[in-house]
Amino acid sequence: MATTADGFQAHTEDHAHDHADHKPGFFARWFMSTNHKDIGTLYLIFAIIAGIIGGAISGLMRWELAAPGLQVMGQVVSALGGDGTSFDQQGHMWNVLITAHGLIMVFFMVMPAMIGGFGNWFVPLMIGAPDMAFPRMNNVSFWLTVAGFFSLLFSLFVPGGVGNGAGIGWTAYAPLSTTASPGPAVDFAIFSLHLAGAGSILGATNFITTIFNMRAPGMTLHKMPLFVWSVLVTAFLLLLALPVLAAAITMLLTDRNFGTTFFTAAGGGDPVLYQHLFWFFGHPEVYIMILPGFGMVSQIVATFSRKPVFGYLGMAYAMVAIGVVGFIVWAHHMYTVGLSVNTKMYFTAATMVIAVPTGIKIFSWIATMWGGSIEFKSPMVWAMGFIFLFTVGGVTGVVLANGGIDDNLHDTYYVVAHFHYVLSMGAVFSIFAGFYYWFPKMSGRWHSEFLSHLHFWTFFVGVNVIFFPMHFLGLQGMARRYPDFTAAYSYWNEIASYGYLIMAGSMIIFFVNIGYALLAGRRAEDNYWGEGATTLEWSLSSPPPFHQFETLPVIEDHHSADDHISAKPATA
Amino acid sequence: MAGAKNHDYHILDPDIWPLMGALGGLVFTSGMVLYMHEMAGGVAVLGVGIALLIATFFAWFTKIVNEAERGDHTPVVQLHMRYGMILFIASEVMFFVGWFWAFFDFALFPAPIREAADNVWQNLIGQEGAALLAQFPPEGVEVLDPFSLPLLNTLILLCSGTTVTWAHHSLINGDREGLKKGLWLTIALGVLFSAVQVYEYGHAPFGFGGNTYSSAFYMATGFHGFHVLVGTIFLAVCLFRTYKGHFTPQQHFGFEAAAWYWHFVDVVWLFLFIAVYVWGGWGAPVYG
Amino acid sequence: MNLGDIARNKLQSLALLVAAVSLAILPQSSFAQEISEPATSVDEAVAEGQSVADGEVVTETDAPAFEHFGPDMILGQPTSFEDDAIASMTFQDQYTVNGDYALWMHDAILMPIITAISLFVLGLLMWVILRYRRAKNPNPSKTSHNTLIEVIWTVVPVIILVVIAVPSISLIAKQYQAPPEDAITIKANGYQWYWGYEYVDNGGFEVISNMLSVEEALTAGEPHQLAVDNRMVVPVGVPIRLQTFGADVIHSFGMPSLWFKLDAVPGRINEKVLTIEQEGIYYGQCMELCGARHGYMPITIEARSMEDFNAWVQSQPGGMTRAQLDAEAAAAAAPAPEADAEGEEADADAEADAADAETAAAAA
Ligand code: HEA
Ligand code: HEA
Ligand code: CUA
Ligand SMILES: [Cu+2]
Repeated sequence: MATTADGFQAHTEDHAHDHADHKPGFFARWFMSTNHKDIGTLYLIFAIIAGIIGGAISGLMRWELAAPGLQVMGQVVSALGGDGTSFDQQGHMWNVLITAHGLIMVFFMVMPAMIGGFGNWFVPLMIGAPDMAFPRMNNVSFWLTVAGFFSLLFSLFVPGGVGNGAGIGWTAYAPLSTTASPGPAVDFAIFSLHLAGAGSILGATNFITTIFNMRAPGMTLHKMPLFVWSVLVTAFLLLLALPVLAAAITMLLTDRNFGTTFFTAAGGGDPVLYQHLFWFFGHPEVYIMILPGFGMVSQIVATFSRKPVFGYLGMAYAMVAIGVVGFIVWAHHMYTVGLSVNTKMYFTAATMVIAVPTGIKIFSWIATMWGGSIEFKSPMVWAMGFIFLFTVGGVTGVVLANGGIDDNLHDTYYVVAHFHYVLSMGAVFSIFAGFYYWFPKMSGRWHSEFLSHLHFWTFFVGVNVIFFPMHFLGLQGMARRYPDFTAAYSYWNEIASYGYLIMAGSMIIFFVNIGYALLAGRRAEDNYWGEGATTLEWSLSSPPPFHQFETLPVIEDHHSADDHISAKPATA
Repeated sequence: MAGAKNHDYHILDPDIWPLMGALGGLVFTSGMVLYMHEMAGGVAVLGVGIALLIATFFAWFTKIVNEAERGDHTPVVQLHMRYGMILFIASEVMFFVGWFWAFFDFALFPAPIREAADNVWQNLIGQEGAALLAQFPPEGVEVLDPFSLPLLNTLILLCSGTTVTWAHHSLINGDREGLKKGLWLTIALGVLFSAVQVYEYGHAPFGFGGNTYSSAFYMATGFHGFHVLVGTIFLAVCLFRTYKGHFTPQQHFGFEAAAWYWHFVDVVWLFLFIAVYVWGGWGAPVYG
Repeated sequence: MNLGDIARNKLQSLALLVAAVSLAILPQSSFAQEISEPATSVDEAVAEGQSVADGEVVTETDAPAFEHFGPDMILGQPTSFEDDAIASMTFQDQYTVNGDYALWMHDAILMPIITAISLFVLGLLMWVILRYRRAKNPNPSKTSHNTLIEVIWTVVPVIILVVIAVPSISLIAKQYQAPPEDAITIKANGYQWYWGYEYVDNGGFEVISNMLSVEEALTAGEPHQLAVDNRMVVPVGVPIRLQTFGADVIHSFGMPSLWFKLDAVPGRINEKVLTIEQEGIYYGQCMELCGARHGYMPITIEARSMEDFNAWVQSQPGGMTRAQLDAEAAAAAAPAPEADAEGEEADADAEADAADAETAAAAA
């Protein structure tokens, strides 16, 4: 993004010191916040806590799956006050854990980190706005997310069928989630999504309004940094997809408690209807989890290559295209429910189309680096790791997109491998990239670049060891959502579980790194990445003043016309 | 507040109500769970949750109104609110898409209770074949005559759409009396609509659940009814504010938002009337 | 038109490539219906021949002896790393025609393409790392556009996707071929947490199939977690109309070595044709989360010759072969109206059973 900051830097500096830094007291600041940066910080802290919990749960899961048989679930059941010797309660506990893991990672780790955390922090900064459009609503979005998390936690301690907790998978398919799961646990889990979803819808309106309405003078849509574009598209996906989920899970609730028969076959209802409604939300949701990552990677790649992003407009509209097409491919999650032949062919073809705009993004990132002067600072290595691992996850998505092929792979570990490559590597790598990119900006303190690189390499090895063998297991037919498996699957499962240990060690490095930075980190300058970092946040101090841009920056029209709008003849 | 800002955006002081609202939400949903499972304290928790939510809405909107009156709502902030409202309504539309989706699924591809198994051929001969084997509304369900009370309600809502426009025009032209009359009438029509709806529910020939028709019918019209209620309250607040002397011909977004919302509710009803009442019940035995 | 013709006609195939994405929008029905025209003639002949042959055997009431296959006949099962490292990383061997085609499509088209794309991206990354690192290239270029390259990296993926889409669409068409009229119908009912196999066309008996414990399975020489007490016995080489139905929640009938997976959904019957090519034992599992023991409701299919199958059918309570049913029908309706009556009756049975299961589910 070649928006330059020289024009206004002076203004903001003057104002930064007199009144803009006056902060409210502790309680008012953190519990009553109307400040986008503080709310962003809250989201990030929340995401880290949720990530630790979700990651710990996946540790229990990998431990259980390290060998055939049930070794761990009994202890977990006992620890949570159930009957650890009951076979059914152990099986149920598995389902509870994967449900909690999936929901926590999706709704309470990735989304809060990317949209709530980085979005809140940097969308206003990057467009030159003093805050979000609706600062008070911003705060309720955050607290609703927390409320949703609590509701999910409550569900763990109340009956949900065979044992405590909601064992319905993050997809909550009816009628398993209705007639087959009596007890309040599932209701708590459903309300968890209602609460978090309401927060996200409010957040989405906030972001769209902010981006449309609060861009600094001269900051046209086509000059906006790509991270802002990505949040804009994401917000639209949230706004249009989440209400459908809300309707679907409300139907679950009324089917469960008030005798409606939306998904109850005995009343003529249609369990498959739930899947349509869920995936109409669910597929856009997966792009909600990756688009902000795309945005961050774009900023980072440009910064460390010291080049403007290659094909800016194509990059922006590729995200729009992904968002739009993302709404018409949902049934590729349902290839085996008994779709008609034409439906299956349509969804096969439509799904594959998404590979095209995604490819444009991958290649444009590489083209941005091409001819650049690349510096391998920690955000950059994470971003490059992202590009490769996301590609691996993306191409297995294309395999799954083929309805006829998916007949064999659906609900196997191949799918688990696919979505962890795009999520636990794609989304998570971009989160770490963004984190290292902006952490000194947010905290004013430097992390250790050495530890960051060490974190990268160990994490890279760890997650690949966990998830690559899952492709093999999936091809061999190992089903997902199984706590137990036949002996033939032992080897690769054991390897995967060892990978978890590597990854866990790596996460300890991450936490040490943050601790070090906060306690003993060097102070960070305003623009610590230097020349390549051209977006507006770099014109501010690190951390930025409590209220920035009290005088709005003016974006001058330096070379943007060349950069973005007119296509110059190829110079090479 | 941070003193000398040189822009027109609205920078807000810290506020406790977002936390309270979210807490209210959690208490409310938890109370719902306890209540639905007939567990101890359900009604009490539910009550506290509702009270918290009402308090939040009240305090929150009071603040917004006060801020508006204080002049915090510069033109750009008003524009924010327009965007916000439009986007909120867009999300509401998608919410209703969910309910209509369910309704059309049942109506177009019905699977009556005892014949569910007849869908054997569905996958091979297409949905039409399966549809021949089933019917919607399910056998034995008598529907409401769309051209009696529902039609009346349609007219009531259409009427209320014109009265709210009357109020709006009066407001723009500085005619406070017209504004009040228009609002009173709109609210009265809204209440009348709700009353008719309640009466209709009370006398409907089918119960709440038990089959797809009544499930889709009650949840779709019920959520619409809830929106009518919210819209009516919204308009009532506007009326109250009118009496307090709020709104000027230049600045009255609170009123406009209420009017937009009301029109949205109106349009949803038209779809409900056409799809659910008229088309959805076509050919089924009519009650009464 | 069918796919072969398109491929042979240069103009048409060119048009197809250029019209790339329109594949996404094109109604595929024209493809599908022509390809899925049931190739009944051969199957009919087979089936008829068999029923004649059976007729002679089964008029005697004493059922021929039947013995289940032993572990030496296991074909469809996962391979452990220790047994064969490569095999443990790929698809299981396939024992259906569609499975062979799908496997070919994966191994010859999808895998090479996705591997190449991943390596290509990795290679480009390596190249920029080596060539454009700061030490090597201190002065960055300012290029941010190149229309030609952008067109290329849009069009080439489109072409690749079309290359994938063509066999993919035809695979789906193959999978949806309608079963011949007289295909044997077997209904797999998913219960929490076991399977019931209903032999709709053979007297309507239902075989309840539960997982063996680890010890039992190992004693029997079978893989634990996959072996069951009562197998689903099916005839080999003839099309089976396999129906699935969920009695309580959604289950899924997943058979990795037969490239077959179909959800068992309450309230509707899904069906697909399954033709197993080789006699043997095939293992599968429930592939849709269905509650506490989702991991413990495996499927074992034993594919047998038609004679063995008929023998097995007669060993089941209420089990009747086709020929027996025909004879019975003929006897019942003395001035036999039409041979078709049997088919209808079987269908009616199926419906009645489905309705029963339905009401049972509702009651439960
Ligand atoms: C961040 C999240 C994310 C992302 C980005 C994606 C991206 C994609 N996904 Fe994925 N997916 C999930 C998360 C995600 N998915 C999850 C969570 C599930 C499981 C849900 C559940 O059941 O619990 C799932 C499941 C899932 C299924 C269902 C599988 C099953 O249950 O049987 C399918 C099937 O089509 C699919 C396809 C795709 C495709 C085609 C893409 C494409 O967008 C990928 C596009 C990217 C590339 C292709 C790589 C880069 C491109 C190039 C280098 C250009 C050249 C490439 C070609 C020409 C091919 N996904
Ligand atoms: C974003 C989503 C996400 C992430 C990151 C992960 C991460 C991991 N997942 Fe998960 N997984 C899912 C989403 C995710 N998963 C979903 C949706 C399912 C399906 C559930 C279902 O079937 O219903 C699933 C299912 C699933 C299964 C299959 C269970 C089954 O089918 O039976 C397994 C098995 O090994 C597994 C393992 C792991 C492991 C070992 C990790 C490890 O990588 C975990 C390591 C931890 C981290 C990488 C997080 C670190 C992040 C932070 C600490 C926050 C940092 C924040 C900032 C810096 C701001 N997961
Ligand atoms: Cu039955 Cu899973
Ligand atoms: Cu998807």
